[in-house]
Amino acid sequence: MIGYVSVALLGLLALSIPVGIVLFLLGFGIDIFGSSFPLTRGLGNMVWSSSNSATLIAIPFFVLLGEILVRSGVATRTYAALDRWVSWLPGGLVHANVATATMFSATSGSSVATAATVATVAMPQAEKLGYDPKLFSGAIAAGGTLGIMIPPSINLIVYGFLTQSSIPQLFLAGLIPGLALALAFMVITVIICLIRPELGGTRRTFPLAQMLRALIDLVPILLLFGLIVGAIYQGWATPTEAAAVGVAGAFIIALMFGGVSWDMLTQSLTGTVKVTSMIMLIVIGASFLNFTLASAGLGRELTTFMESLGLSPFGLILVVVLLYIVLGFFIETLSLMVVTIPIIVPMVVGAGYDVVWFGILMIVLIEMALITPPVGLNLYVVQGARKSGSLNEVMLGALPYCLTMLAMAFALIAFPSIALWLPNALQ
Amino acid sequence: MELRIIEALRRLNRGVALLVGAGLLICAAFVLTDILMRRFGTSLGGTEEIAGYAMALATAWGMAFTLLELGHVRIDLLRSRVQSFGRALFDVFSMIVMSGVIVTIAIKAWPVLERSIKNGSTANTPLETPLVWVHAPWFAGWVWFALMSCVVTLCALSLVVRGRYDETETVAGAFAEQEMLQ
Amino acid sequence: ETLSVVGSWSGLPLHMQYEAPFWSETLPAASDGKIEVELTTHNQMSLGLGDIYPLLGQGVYDVAMTVADYAVADAPELEGLDVPLVALTADEARAMVDAARPMVDDIYADRFNAKVLAIAPYPPQVVFCNEEVATLADLEGLKIRASGRMTAKLLEALGAEGVNVSFSEVPGALQKGVVDCAVTGAGSGYSAGWWEVSTHLMPIPLGGWDSVVTAMNMDRWNGLDAATQELIAGQLKSEFEDAAWASAQDALVNDIACLTGNGECTAGDARGMTLVEVSDEDFAKAREILVSDVLPEWAERAGDDWAARWNDSVGKTVGVTIE
Ligand code: NA
Ligand code: NA
Repeated sequence: MIGYVSVALLGLLALSIPVGIVLFLLGFGIDIFGSSFPLTRGLGNMVWSSSNSATLIAIPFFVLLGEILVRSGVATRTYAALDRWVSWLPGGLVHANVATATMFSATSGSSVATAATVATVAMPQAEKLGYDPKLFSGAIAAGGTLGIMIPPSINLIVYGFLTQSSIPQLFLAGLIPGLALALAFMVITVIICLIRPELGGTRRTFPLAQMLRALIDLVPILLLFGLIVGAIYQGWATPTEAAAVGVAGAFIIALMFGGVSWDMLTQSLTGTVKVTSMIMLIVIGASFLNFTLASAGLGRELTTFMESLGLSPFGLILVVVLLYIVLGFFIETLSLMVVTIPIIVPMVVGAGYDVVWFGILMIVLIEMALITPPVGLNLYVVQGARKSGSLNEVMLGALPYCLTMLAMAFALIAFPSIALWLPNALQ
Repeated sequence: MELRIIEALRRLNRGVALLVGAGLLICAAFVLTDILMRRFGTSLGGTEEIAGYAMALATAWGMAFTLLELGHVRIDLLRSRVQSFGRALFDVFSMIVMSGVIVTIAIKAWPVLERSIKNGSTANTPLETPLVWVHAPWFAGWVWFALMSCVVTLCALSLVVRGRYDETETVAGAFAEQEMLQ
Repeated sequence: ETLSVVGSWSGLPLHMQYEAPFWSETLPAASDGKIEVELTTHNQMSLGLGDIYPLLGQGVYDVAMTVADYAVADAPELEGLDVPLVALTADEARAMVDAARPMVDDIYADRFNAKVLAIAPYPPQVVFCNEEVATLADLEGLKIRASGRMTAKLLEALGAEGVNVSFSEVPGALQKGVVDCAVTGAGSGYSAGWWEVSTHLMPIPLGGWDSVVTAMNMDRWNGLDAATQELIAGQLKSEFEDAAWASAQDALVNDIACLTGNGECTAGDARGMTLVEVSDEDFAKAREILVSDVLPEWAERAGDDWAARWNDSVGKTVGVTIE
């Protein structure tokens, strides 16, 4: 059945029907052809209960936070400051994309919002300075995925919610792998640009005084990170509530930078509604598809399949990695997590693996899914912010970073302490 | 004519989106107040429940705005390879399918509201929110989205029939000409 | 016949030890292969907790089981199935549930178009506190995470303040003082590591027993022949319901042993929470508040007919009358 669903998914997507609508159509299809029960009768309830969620309200809050930072000019300043510090590297401004994405990941819970923020401030520069659009936009799409690895993270909240594991511990566990991944992105950029310098554009150096002066522009984001993460670890707010704290913080920062106006406020609000609805149509469609797949026995099919393999714990992890890569091509990330966690996590934990560690491994694989076609939200977000050029360029440009993530996944398997050291050390 | 209708709907839905955005902002303020009050040993109570309702309503009522701003993600690998007539066909087909799905959702949303009317349902929480209060505006939001989809579909269809393919794209294309985030 | 069955929480012992074996092995075997079952669980389908029975009534699947309390939004009268503090042992809880059974049958038929087949218990919902507590009076002024409406109302009546925190966020909330206490099943609290972040355990069923109701879509049930109906109902009673109840008391004792170290823990390492013994007068006071405040409020929500019916059945069994 997974085969049929995949083929239908690809076909419908190729017809350029909106992704969220395709998910509903597949759900209807499974209802008609794959199940003897009238699943579509449950459609209204599924739409209501998948959108009536206090956990998901973190999405508009984090998007709004990003909108405020962009429209008040804070994001542009951050980007320019990081440009001063990293553009001497082979690859130039591409590093600023990764560095800015890393910083915004620390204030944003969503990869889509992170990618959207960075794409908005970076794209105008690429055209001005004549960068190769592939690597430049690929780095934004990939860097944006860090949004769900470096705390705070909506996806880790959902993982903690579904596996009943500690969200603050998951956040701590994501920090080092997230930073390591950011570093790895920069290393791979350097390597690529040493081999093919024409991909990177001009390297630029700035006088030390300018570099030091630029540091002040990084302060707002660092403060915001401290505020959001501090609220969680001081016990003032739950991880979801911390998103609201972030909105207030961003608003105050924007006020101090003088970037608040009526126009800016209305645009931030409508922009938030637009992005949130776009994500939610996909999330709701995915929930309905998930409901039909589960009713039609996808869970059983997967479980039976895995058991029939008779795997060792290590073999199990390898198969799981492979599974996420394949499913990650086609399934939107939040739904991918929701669909697989109830099936995969008990198996993995039963094989003796740590549930927090697996959460981080899963996030790396989910990050890959965000930049693999045909369903890779970050690719579309970056493409959406571009004025010209085709989606293929973004996909190609993201490929090296995709491979870097795969390497990171194996590093996590070989050295679980990359994720577990920090939460254990702080206990 | 079609373009004027779409322009009017865009203005209307921008207003709706502003209201939705303001609602989300109030919800954030509500959550913040609760966090602050907890510092002083008390609590508003029920913020999680209200945040859930806010999310459901924001989602339902924001959908049409996103539609009119051409914001629902589509994959244009094939679509971008054909001429404007082909693109217009892709767009109209996509809108027809979308309208069908959204109308189905709106129809299936009715039993949810009907049940809370019939049972006089109240939320399973200390607040005991009468669910009609939230189900009714939620249902209305999906009906609104369905209505908007159908109007956009008719406008796009009419433009295609009259051979105005480029204009079809401004009504139902894959990307907005002016991206909002700029 | 193929039955599509939606089980309760897949990670909890009731599903793993009783539901899953019953539906996937016992019943198909007892029917000589005439009944086949497609089993999933509501969390694997990511169903909204309040949607489980309404969807059953619409015929989306044939059989569903979950905590009755999740459905009280559509049926406030159902709260009367699981009243906190009135049943202290598994035997008492079973007597309460048996007395309520005719009521529950009618509620499910009217509200959810469903036939009740069995009622099994989750372990009672006890109180975990990260705060020095010795008596129920000490709960006054504390922030407590409750599950379920009647429990929340009872806590409010006891002077505590109800805070909504989702299950997975409870440990963090306890640790940081967002809440002082939280109510859940002793076994769930043990396996979710709540003992790491709380010090005192009050093993009284302040949250009731969380009865799990197994029900079948009414049209589907009426469409079965009498022999099949009898087979399913009979097997469910002897092989599922009785077995689940028989182990309930032992499970509670074992869970408390695991959390406090008093007695032998078979589920894993014993932990060192302080066991708070609630005195008789303390308990009597809580019962008094339940009877004087909480139950009359419920009677208002549900309507007087239900209160009268409750008094005649459950009330008689547990010795409580709603005025
Ligand atoms: Na983040
Ligand atoms: Na993908």
